[in-house]
Amino acid sequence: MEEWDEVKVPKNVKDIFIEMKNTAELMVDLAYSAALFKEKEIAEEVLELEEYLDILNYHLMIRAVLAARNMKEAEQITSILQMARSIDEISNAAADLAKMVLEEKLHPLITEVILESEETIGRVIVSPESILVGKTLEELDLSTNAGVWVIAIRRGKRWIFDPDEDTKIMPGDILIGRGTKTALDYLKEVARGIIKVIRHE
Amino acid sequence: MNEYEEIRNCLVEMKDLSALMVDLAFSSVMYNSEDIAEEVYLLEEKMDDLTLKVKKLTLRLAKKEEDPESLLSIIDLADINERISDAAYGIADIILRDIEPHPIIRKIMEDTEEELGRVRVHGGSVLVGKTLAQLKLPSKIGTRILAIKRGSRYIYNPGRADTIEKDDVLIAVSSDLDKLRELAGEEIEKEE
Repeated sequence: MEEWDEVKVPKNVKDIFIEMKNTAELMVDLAYSAALFKEKEIAEEVLELEEYLDILNYHLMIRAVLAARNMKEAEQITSILQMARSIDEISNAAADLAKMVLEEKLHPLITEVILESEETIGRVIVSPESILVGKTLEELDLSTNAGVWVIAIRRGKRWIFDPDEDTKIMPGDILIGRGTKTALDYLKEVARGIIKVIRHE
Repeated sequence: MNEYEEIRNCLVEMKDLSALMVDLAFSSVMYNSEDIAEEVYLLEEKMDDLTLKVKKLTLRLAKKEEDPESLLSIIDLADINERISDAAYGIADIILRDIEPHPIIRKIMEDTEEELGRVRVHGGSVLVGKTLAQLKLPSKIGTRILAIKRGSRYIYNPGRADTIEKDDVLIAVSSDLDKLRELAGEEIEKEE
């Protein structure tokens, strides 16, 4: 993701929209992860995603404006623009939190807030004995089976942000997940190799 | 409770609420639900109150702090959550205003045939006193509970151990919400 000029923007309004929504939500999760673990690399990723989202927003606006052929359509299109602006605001808020991490300005109380909230963030270390090893995120479907959304993976010195469905879990991976404390504790047990099956509801 | 603890509790609530609001806001648009959009509107007012409360408490705490500036990030975090909730309201507002949303907005979720709404649990309902694990609503009536509103409090993403009580308001997604309404003891208005 170095050169934004080369970034592929989805073709239609619908797909740009979905991409914007997903990106903004990912940014909020990553910003809280950065704040919790004091990880500047995650914070920097949030700022990069912010630039990406601006580009998506720009493309969305162009397409939306072009689509209006009369007064009624123009009125309807304001709803698209309003929604895009709101998503952009969410991403700006996430970026500001990321900047606070980079400036090392976080009060210790913020850590407590993140840990105590309903949906929190956790670090899950994958041991070689775990049943997670060698499986893709699609196969594991951890959001359904464990209630945890994997938002990033630390592999050696490298980060994989927003891993896709084909990503295979390797021994030693550190998964950054969002979920309730109970869900994260459960996944930690699975990752440690203590629990040998992953539940299917 | 001292100021520090009070601030922490308020911020935890704000973080939970802003996340819930974003979920609800997108859901209101996707399911074209004025009901849920109004819920977001009410939560937004609550967030404003909480933001003001955190700011006041932080100022009071600052008097006792050696380094009052260290508290700045606490006010910033309250602001960040308030901005996210404002944005959520901006999304839900699309449903609340008079202009019909652009068809593309519906199209984004045209695959889903699910309905989202609020259901109040009445006194004689079979749901009262049961846990979600006992009820198995997802498999039995194809219904997922996104949140339970109990008084002014929200339990969001309720878990298997959570129990349903009389007068709870369930915020649920379903292919047929009337089934849940029936179980909850609500009168169903038959549409002509």
